[in-house]
Amino acid sequence: MTLDDLNRRVSAAREEVEARGETFYPGASRIHLAAFPPRERWNDWVELDSKSWPERVEKRYMLVPTTCFNCESACGLLAYVDRDTLQVRKFEGNPEHPGSRGRNCAKGPATINQITDPDRILYPLKRSGERGEGKWERVSWDEALDDIAGRIRTCLEEERHEQVMYHVGRPGEDGYTTRMLAAWGVDGHNSHTNVCSSGARAGYHWWMGMDRPSPDHANAKVILLVSSHLETGHYFNPHAQRIMEGKQNGAKLIVFDTRLSNTATHADHWISPYPGSEPAIFLAIANWMIQEGRYDREFVRRWWNWQEYLEEVGGNPQGTFEDFEAALKQMYDSYTFEFASAESGVSVDQLKAVAELVSTAGTRLATHNWRSAGSGNLGGWQVARTLTLLNALLGALATEGGTFPNSWNKFTPKPPRLPHQHPRRWNDVLWPDEYPLALMEMSFLMPHLMRQQEAFVDVYFTRVYNPVWTNPDGFSWIEMLTDKKQIGQHIAMTPTWNETAYFADYVLPMGHSSERHDLTSYEQYNGQWIGFRQPVLRAARERLGEEITDTRQVNPGEVWEENEFWIELTWRIDPDGSLGIRQFFESVKNPGEKMTVDEYYGWIFENSVPGLPEAAVAQGVTPLEYMRRYGAFEVANKVGKVHEQPVPDSELEDIRVDDAGRVYTHAPVPPSPKAPGGTKIDPDEDGRRRVGVRVDGEIVKGWPTPTGKLEFWSRTLRDWGWPELATPTYVKSHIHQQNLDSDQMPLITTFRVPVQIHTRSANAKWLDEIAHTNPLWIHPTDAARAGVDKTGDLVRVETEIGHFVLKAWITEGIRPGVLACSHHMGRWKPEGHEGPRLGMNTVALDQNESDWDLTRKKSGGPFKSADPDTMRVWWTDVGVHQNLTHPVHPDPVSGMHCWHQAVRVRKAQPGDSFGDVSVDTAKSRAVYDKWLEMTRAASTHSPDGTRRPWWMLRPVRPERAAYDLPEREPVGA
Amino acid sequence: MPDSGTPVELLRGLAVLAEPPSKEHDGIIAALGMQAAPSSSEYSDVFMFQLYPYASVHLGQEGMMGGDARERVAGFWTAVGQTPPAEPDHLSALLGLYVGLTEQIAIANAEGASAEAMLLDQSRGALMQEHLAPWVFAYLDRVVELTSGPYGEWAILLRDVLRSEVTSGGALPVHLREAPPLPDPREDGSEAFLAGLLAPVRSGAIFTRSDLGRIASTLDVGLRAGERRYALEHILAQDAPGVLTALSEEAGRQAMAHAAREEWLGGTACFLADRALRTQTLLCELAESGALSAEEAADGKESGDTTADVS
Repeated sequence: MTLDDLNRRVSAAREEVEARGETFYPGASRIHLAAFPPRERWNDWVELDSKSWPERVEKRYMLVPTTCFNCESACGLLAYVDRDTLQVRKFEGNPEHPGSRGRNCAKGPATINQITDPDRILYPLKRSGERGEGKWERVSWDEALDDIAGRIRTCLEEERHEQVMYHVGRPGEDGYTTRMLAAWGVDGHNSHTNVCSSGARAGYHWWMGMDRPSPDHANAKVILLVSSHLETGHYFNPHAQRIMEGKQNGAKLIVFDTRLSNTATHADHWISPYPGSEPAIFLAIANWMIQEGRYDREFVRRWWNWQEYLEEVGGNPQGTFEDFEAALKQMYDSYTFEFASAESGVSVDQLKAVAELVSTAGTRLATHNWRSAGSGNLGGWQVARTLTLLNALLGALATEGGTFPNSWNKFTPKPPRLPHQHPRRWNDVLWPDEYPLALMEMSFLMPHLMRQQEAFVDVYFTRVYNPVWTNPDGFSWIEMLTDKKQIGQHIAMTPTWNETAYFADYVLPMGHSSERHDLTSYEQYNGQWIGFRQPVLRAARERLGEEITDTRQVNPGEVWEENEFWIELTWRIDPDGSLGIRQFFESVKNPGEKMTVDEYYGWIFENSVPGLPEAAVAQGVTPLEYMRRYGAFEVANKVGKVHEQPVPDSELEDIRVDDAGRVYTHAPVPPSPKAPGGTKIDPDEDGRRRVGVRVDGEIVKGWPTPTGKLEFWSRTLRDWGWPELATPTYVKSHIHQQNLDSDQMPLITTFRVPVQIHTRSANAKWLDEIAHTNPLWIHPTDAARAGVDKTGDLVRVETEIGHFVLKAWITEGIRPGVLACSHHMGRWKPEGHEGPRLGMNTVALDQNESDWDLTRKKSGGPFKSADPDTMRVWWTDVGVHQNLTHPVHPDPVSGMHCWHQAVRVRKAQPGDSFGDVSVDTAKSRAVYDKWLEMTRAASTHSPDGTRRPWWMLRPVRPERAAYDLPEREPVGA
Repeated sequence: MPDSGTPVELLRGLAVLAEPPSKEHDGIIAALGMQAAPSSSEYSDVFMFQLYPYASVHLGQEGMMGGDARERVAGFWTAVGQTPPAEPDHLSALLGLYVGLTEQIAIANAEGASAEAMLLDQSRGALMQEHLAPWVFAYLDRVVELTSGPYGEWAILLRDVLRSEVTSGGALPVHLREAPPLPDPREDGSEAFLAGLLAPVRSGAIFTRSDLGRIASTLDVGLRAGERRYALEHILAQDAPGVLTALSEEAGRQAMAHAAREEWLGGTACFLADRALRTQTLLCELAESGALSAEEAADGKESGDTTADVS
């Protein structure tokens, strides 16, 4: 047979196999994931059992997709369900997931540790002693549901809606609980975002009306990251793989990080600035580009709100674009490289080199800030604002290789039975008068606001959230949680024990990644996808023909998923429908019956995800079955410049175009498969809605800002009392050198190692083995000055309200004069409490009025359990809980907690022990009061008598009337 | 689809077979008329223990996976507008790229983009000349020598297909020209010598575990389990003249094999033949001079040095 004959035979075989929808060429030769199980064989996949080696024992698996819940990325996972035992044996990546593309970081496969954790919570528990005493009794779900539902019903009947609060840490879902809270009529959504990403998000929001960046790293020419967190911790996997892809394609990587982070080690330019000086550098780069004319004039002319700036600030309403350019040159001319160098400590030459590189990126500049400098500093929101200025100068927004706004790279489908009601009462604890422009709820101030407002929360859910440990000033949280005059009932919904759950009334066991339903979509590249988290054993058993009606039937113990829990709870709050709530949780097909999760998601997949029904038909399955089988679906790829899209003629009915070019229409809003959300732009005086903007004579969609343009200058910031911050500018941080005493240093706490989650990974043995402690990064010169001789020596770090004692790590990986300590470890449980043993210190908590001490009584180490590996734990140091010693630092504009601390570091004092924490909460209240003095309250600065600009984003919007300021100071309940 | 004469389906099928065996291989094996599917253990023996299917191992100065040699291949991927995969220099990936370029040429020709087709054809030629031909023929010959099973059949087929793709010998690739020759242990020390000996681009020869085992068996010296370098050090320590002589003979045999390819592989074959002959000569001299005494050969091995090889 000739080679040509053979070639024809292979070709024919390929065509035959592919005609069946199966894979012929697997692996690297088709430039794909090597050796990945082809999806047509996921139902019956055979592998050799590793534990049977050297015998060759075949194991048969069902591969069931879900998404990871260990950070917000929701990367695809494939659970390997043993067909003999129907237990999950391992987790690998899901190659069908468009965001993660089959790859995972260490946290994904470690899900197997979490679901088999011998110390996990398996049953509902109710406090039997005093709060925090550590005494619990097992109760039934029915008992817990009836008690909680009755209490909520009473709140709603007595018009005490603001006394019901849901405080979420890791959301891991899009819109389910906000929909639920809207249905309840409760303005009680409390997110963790102001200890997380609000700073950066505020900066983006003021520019674009959308609050997250979505850099197209893979196609960038220059990638500029201001993040020690995201690229190593949060969206690590989907972003890191695309950053590497970009680098392989020739992109240059610039990393701003005071520490030598994982990300910085991959950089072409590692910039290690004094913390907080980043905006000064970006403005210097911007100034150089402006002075040199190295910017996209046409983009700036078309899309910046320069006319409004000239009219309102420049006193030149008829000014031309050239007038604006002249003003721009003057505005930033003081931001020289020399100025930025003096502020940052970075050499002028290095700054010039970076500026040169940035200026050559054109529209392929991918920039990103999530936490890092944006969450560390007073005025940190200006990091993202000044960073985006670079993109806006180059026109590198919503371009291939540029930075997109999140909403254009995200698809949140519309759910069934969307509530048409909005909460009628404003929640002052979450949205206090003093912070009208805070992007998100002032969650971390809750103990202070509750005290200040003499407020009471009757039903308080903490849901996959651990504020005692995660938030600053944790002892104030314990004081609040143990005060029954402030918290009526605290329900901790969590898959693992945590420091906050110890102070709850109920601890309700919730599922991990493979034990729950959630629907997610995140901005991770220039496209849109949805990912489906599902209880994999439920899906596996349904494939085998079983009917599963409740996820508790397949989860370990009585672990539940939240969606079924919320449906059941809501029905018990409003059993007869008289409160008008139950209707939103009734079946669409069978009104009067409970909606099931199958119906909920099935409806979404059939009605709200373009392309999915067709893809399902091609496979001969329903859309729900498709998602249960593959776990993800790409809705769109290469979204492009939405702002430049023409508004369809069908939406241009009886239009009016105002002087600023904003176009209003009487045409109704066209039906959309997407869930409603985003900013709210007021209609014109005749009730026309804003539909777009006119640019150079063409009506296009524009941006969801008040002007429809990119807001270089913000009227809102000016009108609400911050005219000096209305354009991108530099705010000197609270840890700027001029604000420190001579013996103080800044402490960076806004990073963690890539293998750990904030508060739910202490029970993951693989992750703990890799990283389990958090020493103090200190430069050799600083160590010498402080008398710290060697790595491992104990040091005492003193903050404004107390101190903590930990080990030093002397390293040149940190800038001289700056300290750093990762926030990822230092977990603890009080003596006498149940709870995890892996990765935990056992501590004594001692309180003497406002003085608190946490003393380590037992460190980590081996222990006996059902898992033999726990006897192999070789490490004892599990870190120190530094956040307890951090006072609250609320940024007066963004509301973000400014994490960086001004500290004194010295050798441990006599009597100091590793892990000691000491705090005076009276001092923390004084710091809160000091920062409160910087605020400009709505009651004194609101331009229109409202509490907050209506157009701004808000997770659960109360009705419009609730925005009106009360006639007197808010006093809470 | 391609009409360039390159049997792309056959080549892609053969590329797949250099990956770990899976059920999907069955269809390819049946189409090729091969007698049996290889087992996982056969795969491990050939590709993981004896003959590593990576360009970097055969063309890199260190004789190991990765490093500059892999970067060079990754750069080629980038240069032709492709994102390099995780192992850009794996034989499967290189063959996949070759097929991909062939298909692009056909598409460009079909669309009348003759200039683009010409550029792609040049890229494909460069891929063959710089990253495949300098190692793959000697490599496949050694596979054929090593096993008569399915991978032997595979190697013969692949060798025939690739042979039909070589149009001219062309110029000697720069990375071959710049590869330093095998160092003399009397001048550069035994460590450098042993490292060079196991780097085919320097020694001109591919020495497998199987070769070392055969030599140890013939000389009746103990073969310690470990990586090739480790095993080599230990058999040298036991009988340096005997081992050097046996290696010299093997180098000479491979020099002849290179020389037999000169007619169609040109300068590359000449270069490799010359390297192998020089190796043969050096090894012979060393054997006769009594160099590489037990102390020298054992230098470093007691520290547990198991310098990373590819397995």
